[in-house]
Amino acid sequence: MNRKSMAVLMLIAALAWVLAACGGGNSSTGANGNTSQQNGGNEQAGNEQSSSEQNEAEQVELHMMHLWPEGTTLAQYNLVNQIVDEFEQDHSNVTVNIEVLDNEQYKNKLKVLSASNKLPDIGFTWAAGFMEPYVKGGEFANLNELLDGDLKDLFVGGTTEAYSFDGNTYALPVELNIVPFYYNKAIFEENGIEVPESYEDLKNVIQTLNDNGVTPFTLGGKDAWTASFWYMYLAERLGGPELLDEAVASSTFTQSELVEAASYLQELVDMNAFIKGFNGLSNDEAKAEFLNGNVAMFLMGTWEVPNYTTNEEIPQEFRDNVGFFKFPVIDGGKGGLDDWVGGPGVGMFVSENSEHPEEAKQFAAHFVKRWGELSVTEAGVIPATKVDTATIDLPQMYIDLLNELNVANKVTLYLDVQMKPVAAEEHYNLVQALLGKAVTPEQFAQQQEDVMKEGN
Amino acid sequence: MNKVMSNKLVLALYVLPALCLLLGIVYVPIVYTGIYGLMEWDGISDMQFIGLDNYVKLLNDSSFWNSAKHSMYFALLSTASLFPYLLVAVLLTGNIRGVNVFRKIYLLPMLLSSVAIAQLWLKVYHPTSGILNTFLEWLGVEQTPSWLADPSIVLGALFIPILWQYAGFYILIYYAALRNIPASIVEAARIDGANAWQIAFRIKIPLISEIIKVTVVLAVVGSLKYFDLIYIMTDGGPNEASEVMASYMYHKAFRAFDFGYGSAVGFFLLLICLVATWIIRKLTATKDKIQYS
Amino acid sequence: MKSNNGLALGRGHTQKPASPTSRNWKGAVGKLILYLLLTVAAIAQLFPLVWLFLFSLKNNQEIFNLPPLALPEQIRWENYVKVWTTGDIGLYFFNSIVVTAFSVVLTIVLASFVTFAITRMRWKLQPLVLGLFMVGLMIPLHATLIPLFIWFERMGLIDSLVSIILTYTAFNLPITIMILLGFYYALPREIEEAAIIDGCSVNRMFLRIILPMTSSVMVTAAIINMIYNWNEFVFVNTFISSDSLKTLTVGVQNFVGQYSIDWGAIGATLMISILPILAAFLIMSERIVEGIAAGSVKG
Repeated sequence: MNRKSMAVLMLIAALAWVLAACGGGNSSTGANGNTSQQNGGNEQAGNEQSSSEQNEAEQVELHMMHLWPEGTTLAQYNLVNQIVDEFEQDHSNVTVNIEVLDNEQYKNKLKVLSASNKLPDIGFTWAAGFMEPYVKGGEFANLNELLDGDLKDLFVGGTTEAYSFDGNTYALPVELNIVPFYYNKAIFEENGIEVPESYEDLKNVIQTLNDNGVTPFTLGGKDAWTASFWYMYLAERLGGPELLDEAVASSTFTQSELVEAASYLQELVDMNAFIKGFNGLSNDEAKAEFLNGNVAMFLMGTWEVPNYTTNEEIPQEFRDNVGFFKFPVIDGGKGGLDDWVGGPGVGMFVSENSEHPEEAKQFAAHFVKRWGELSVTEAGVIPATKVDTATIDLPQMYIDLLNELNVANKVTLYLDVQMKPVAAEEHYNLVQALLGKAVTPEQFAQQQEDVMKEGN
Repeated sequence: MNKVMSNKLVLALYVLPALCLLLGIVYVPIVYTGIYGLMEWDGISDMQFIGLDNYVKLLNDSSFWNSAKHSMYFALLSTASLFPYLLVAVLLTGNIRGVNVFRKIYLLPMLLSSVAIAQLWLKVYHPTSGILNTFLEWLGVEQTPSWLADPSIVLGALFIPILWQYAGFYILIYYAALRNIPASIVEAARIDGANAWQIAFRIKIPLISEIIKVTVVLAVVGSLKYFDLIYIMTDGGPNEASEVMASYMYHKAFRAFDFGYGSAVGFFLLLICLVATWIIRKLTATKDKIQYS
Repeated sequence: MKSNNGLALGRGHTQKPASPTSRNWKGAVGKLILYLLLTVAAIAQLFPLVWLFLFSLKNNQEIFNLPPLALPEQIRWENYVKVWTTGDIGLYFFNSIVVTAFSVVLTIVLASFVTFAITRMRWKLQPLVLGLFMVGLMIPLHATLIPLFIWFERMGLIDSLVSIILTYTAFNLPITIMILLGFYYALPREIEEAAIIDGCSVNRMFLRIILPMTSSVMVTAAIINMIYNWNEFVFVNTFISSDSLKTLTVGVQNFVGQYSIDWGAIGATLMISILPILAAFLIMSERIVEGIAAGSVKG
């Protein structure tokens, strides 16, 4: 062989070697990777061996994944780091490695990791339908012992149920949100309108605003879960607090109130209650219209409250002008004013396959406790653990909302979270179709039921 | 000559590294995907073998065929758009000043990631403050469309940025191919009295016909498995009006937790791409390759 | 045959015109239309970068409220400062360069070898191997994600840049070979015949004669590879978990939060992420012209 071509091949080989060495982080994994290619399953044995070599120190490494990137959710990001630091100081043998992903990527990665049985020791999951396959697949550890011990009576009543299957709890909620209407007081004043107290009032408000050329509601229908809030409230106000829970539990969706709610929603579309092109707007685009003062009202979860209270990026003048009100009751309907749509957001799970289940559970208990103590004041996040409003200093909107939570009659968990993933996917499509008037209310209900039945 | 050009050792050295990489990283996983397509699997609990059930379901799944229709629509439009690209490339080979500047500008969108392109076009199409509707209002249009929310126009609206994104790519390929035609051939034609138009259409374009076939395959296959912008801009919505095969697969596997079915969709998509390529090859087959002589 | 049409391409003037003035007039109109068409296309293609730049200088309110081409009252360079100071953008930057550089070189080298073997050498399995590479082009990337993840995990390559580089190389080989193929087919066979009669070995002929002749198309393929790799997102996001190994596109996603999006910062990140590829493109783009010029002198 010619010398030149030999040199090129050598170069390629050298490149590959350099890559293997620096890519692995430390040189030993690089070498391991190369040999295990031939020896198939040997790699795991190698790992165990190397961990037993360091046995004397009993060093434990926990892998944790969360979804609050530094760029946009700095307060949560810092709070997680603070709690982790505290834990590491108390447990000198434990190191917690943190991986941060944004929401959508987090969901995808969790899925891929679980497919290969490589979930992080500690991570966050959404409730009910989202976590059900993980629980059924034996991926999440049972956390009953923590709830009966360390964490007894710490949580707001009913919040852990969303993470329970057959009486066993598999995750600990760290957020609790309800969905109020936010409104722009300045726009209300300019147009001489008051906060609506009945559904008829609400329709009058919509009419008045439209007559004056102001868009009543912003809505990011591309993210169909936001449109689902509307449907849920109408269904609840018409059919009462248990209607939706029972519909999901029994996999029927053709109850007359559920169909009626769909036609109410289409009526609102016909009244031009929503911003133009809402089905093509993301929630962020829709939200910006409200933050810019172009739109009078916005129906959204309480995770938005920092934008109306403490967020310095939003002009003070605007923040002072935002108030909230509850979804008004419908005459003759069975739902009450203190029934909310909402529920716990993400909850912390411990992997069933964790190599250090004890340490992971200890960490989870520590995390949930400290998070509950700090999250409202540090990050503006309402925790699922009880908060004493008397002892902490908070903006008025927080206090009002926390008090609403205390007197709430019922919080109906988001439909897309309650449903199994297949049915939830179809729910998104159907809500978009309903708002786009591509289906009738009857078809909407029937098709939703068909998918729910199929999933059983 | 024959002996030298069929040296086994050299062949192995040249072909095996790339081939192993391709087999290991592209083929082995796709075979696994084909196997998962025969399973009932949510990606988490144990797999259950269900034979061809997923494929039977697929053939009867109107949502899937709806997405397949959209993908084919994209494939046709992409192929049609190759003609203007070719025309621009031909124009660029004309003796004009600033050809380098034009060529670079055309390729610029290709430098942006899909995330950036999607953000730009979301803003262009924004129903109230988008530059497109602002412009239409300025022209006096009263009912401006909601480009991404209206099921009847969303596909067309999504195609424009894709067209725009890939324009530079095809123009560059055509341009490079055209420039590679030996000047002597063009000169000979000119001496024979052919005008510029004739040179372009009778000489230059036929001479790069192999490259044109390649780009047709690229455009069709690229469209059939297209995912990025649609995923970010509409996520297949509203109500599946812009769902394409790849986004349908993604939704089934990663959103609805039906990984068995999602894999079946992915595998079927591969089959469709193969059939499409085979048809294109058949349609464009010529008896003998054009050679410069 | 001698009738002129408006589109006077190239050195058309050297033909015998019917009357000099009308020929020039027609030629001028032709040129004008030509430039007009090219310029309209150029404006359409150029618009995004200008817009992106302006967008990176605004805050959320201004992005949604002001017309796209309007400047904000106060230019917000702080978006750039914010991007540089929060998050390890410098590190992501470095990782992107490493990943892109290694994969592009590896892809071009491997693809050139294979294309040469397929187009110039004689062997029985040639159609099969060509077929395998071409079919590789059809495979949807997302369909391979979970099997690939499990596969890399078994090889101990997860959370390592090696897995990313190998994946990019494997997935880009088909398109690269496809781009190279047409040019290799078009190379005159006389060259290699002459070389072999002169007693040149295959390696020597390939490396010393053929490869340099394909430099222009290699640059084209390299640019396309570079763009793909630099902007790729799904694989890095799935295979890399350590913050220290993430690339720039994934870094961009760090600014996309759970409930809100900081658009100005994303714009600034995108601008920063484009600059290196833009610079590389402008430099390498010149090389294409040089390559073609050098090739045509010999041809």
